[in-house]
Amino acid sequence: MLEIRDLHVKFHNRDREAVAGVSLTIHDGEILGLVGESGSGKSVTAMSVAGLLPRKSCDYSGQVLLDGTELLHADRSLLRQVQGRDMGVVFQEPMTAMDPLMKIGHQVEEVLHIHTDKNKQERRAMALEALAAVELPEVEVVYEKYPHELSGGMLQRAMIAAAIIQRPKLLLLDEPTTALDVTIQAQILELLKKLNRESGMSMLFISHNLNVVRKLCRRVAVMQRGVLVEEGDTEEVFHDPQHPYTQRLIAAIPTRKRKEDAP
Amino acid sequence: MKYAAKRLLMLLVTMVIVSFLAFLAFDLISGDPATAMLGTQATPESVAALREELGLNRPFLVRYGEWLLGFFTGNLGTSYNYKQPVWDLIGTKVMVTLCLSVLSFLLITMVSIPLGLWSARRAGGRLDGVRTAVNQLCMAVPPFFTGILLSWVFGVMLHWFVPGSFPGLEHFGSALKYLFFAAVAIAIPRIAMTVRMLRSTIMSEMQKDYVRTAISRGNDRGEVLRRHVLKNALVPVVTFLAQTMAEIVAGSIVVEQVFAIPGLGRMLVTSISNRDYPTVQAIVVILAFWVVLAGTVADIVNQCIDPRLRLGGDA
Repeated sequence: MLEIRDLHVKFHNRDREAVAGVSLTIHDGEILGLVGESGSGKSVTAMSVAGLLPRKSCDYSGQVLLDGTELLHADRSLLRQVQGRDMGVVFQEPMTAMDPLMKIGHQVEEVLHIHTDKNKQERRAMALEALAAVELPEVEVVYEKYPHELSGGMLQRAMIAAAIIQRPKLLLLDEPTTALDVTIQAQILELLKKLNRESGMSMLFISHNLNVVRKLCRRVAVMQRGVLVEEGDTEEVFHDPQHPYTQRLIAAIPTRKRKEDAP
Repeated sequence: MKYAAKRLLMLLVTMVIVSFLAFLAFDLISGDPATAMLGTQATPESVAALREELGLNRPFLVRYGEWLLGFFTGNLGTSYNYKQPVWDLIGTKVMVTLCLSVLSFLLITMVSIPLGLWSARRAGGRLDGVRTAVNQLCMAVPPFFTGILLSWVFGVMLHWFVPGSFPGLEHFGSALKYLFFAAVAIAIPRIAMTVRMLRSTIMSEMQKDYVRTAISRGNDRGEVLRRHVLKNALVPVVTFLAQTMAEIVAGSIVVEQVFAIPGLGRMLVTSISNRDYPTVQAIVVILAFWVVLAGTVADIVNQCIDPRLRLGGDA
C-alpha cells in the first residue's frame, strides 16, 4: 500500500541528514507505529509522505509509493490530487492546526470542496456523518462552532473527521494524542482502532510514547537519528528488543512498580 | 448585533466627552472673542455689550448644554467672523472633505489588499528588492509633493482637469474627477504602508500550523491564501485602515491647499487664526466624530471577522 524506499532528507540549514535512508512498508489495513525521540526524523518521514516537505529548503532522495504512485518527486498538481483524497493527515496540536476563523463544519468538509463537486447540502450531510463517525455529540451544534469553542479532545476528533471524510487509503497521524490528557488519549486511540477495524484504513501512527503505540499498533518501527534501528511485531519488540536504543526506550517507560516505589 | 449596539453607545459617550473637552478648551484659552472681534474700536462698554449679545456671560455649563443640544438639532452656533450660522458656512466644505476622504479610503482599500496579496505571494522572488524599494519610495513621498506633480502632469500637461477651479459638488461627476487626483496623492503613501503591513502579516500567518493543515488537504497556494490566510491577516489591517481613515482627514488639509479644494482644512486654518471659536469647535467635534466613528466601524468589522473577539461583548 505505502512503500518508502531509501528515503533521505537533509535540510539546508542542518549538517546532519534528518532522515538517512529509511525504508518502510505499510500493508493494506495495517497500523504501523513509528517511534523515536524528538529529532529522530519520524515526523520528517511522515511529512515526506504527506507531501509537506519544504522542497526549496531541503535535499531529498528516494521514493514514496502510495499504491504505486511516486509522491516524493511528484509535481505539485499530482500531489494535490492525492492530498486529502487518498491520504489524510492529523497533526499534534489540534488548537493550532485548525483555522481559528473557520467553522468546524467548514473545515471538516473542506476536502470535499477541493476534490469533489458536491453541493453545499451534500457536503454538510457528509460532514455531519464524519463528525458522528468520530463520536462527537450534537454534531449539528459542533458543525457551527469555531475551534476556540471546543476542547482539545473534541478538536482532535474533528481533525480526524476532516482527515477521513473522503475515506482515504492512508491516514497519517503525527503525534495525534501527545497534546491531550491521558483519558482523552485513550478515547482517541479507541476511536482510531474502531475506524481501522470498520473501514480498513491503513495508518501510520507516529509517537514518542511507546505505551500508546503498544495499545494501537501490531507492528512498530523504531527510529534514531534518522535511521530505522528496529522493526517488527510490537509485542516481540517489547519483550525482546534487539537494538540498545530500543532497550533504553523501553527501560525509560515508567512502570506501575516504579510508581509505587516513588515516595 | 448586541456588540454593535454596545459599541455605538460607547461611541455616543465618547463623543459627549470629546465635545465637552473641546468646549472647555476653547473657554479656557486666553483671548476674549469679544475683544478680538471689536479690534481697535474696543471700549470696555462695547466689549461688555458684545459679550452680553454673544451670551458669553452665562454660566459655562448652560452654554455647553445649549451648544451640545444644537448639534442634535443642526444648530452649531453662529460664526463670530461671518455672522452666519456655522453649518451654512461649513456644510458644503464638510461634504467636499468627506468626498475626498472616502474617495482616498476606497482607493487605499481597493488597491492595497490585492497588491498586498500579490506581494506576499511573490515574497522571496527575484524582484523582491525592487518591490521593497518602490514601496519605501512611495511611503516617503509626501502627499503635497505628489499632489503638485499630479496637478502638473494631469492638469497642466494633459488637461484632464483644470487645477485651481474646483467645479463644486453640484457637478458631481466632474467634482469627483477633480477630487480623484487629490485622493491619489493622499492614497499613495498610505497604500504603500498598508501593502507592507498586509504582506508581513500574511507572511507570518503562512508559517502557522493551520496553513500546513490546509495544504495537507490538497489546497494550492492561492486557495490557502484566499480561503484561510487572508481572513486571518485582515484583523490588524482593518485596525490600521481605521487609523488611516482618521489620518486621511489630516492629510487632506494639506492636499486641499495644493489642489485649491474648498474643504474643511482651509476653513479650519482660517477659523483658528481668526479666533472664530464656534466654527473651530464645530470642526473639531466633526473631526473627532470621524476618528471615533472609524475606530468603532473597525471594531465591529473585526468582530465579524474573528469570532474570538465576540467573547468580550457577551454575544
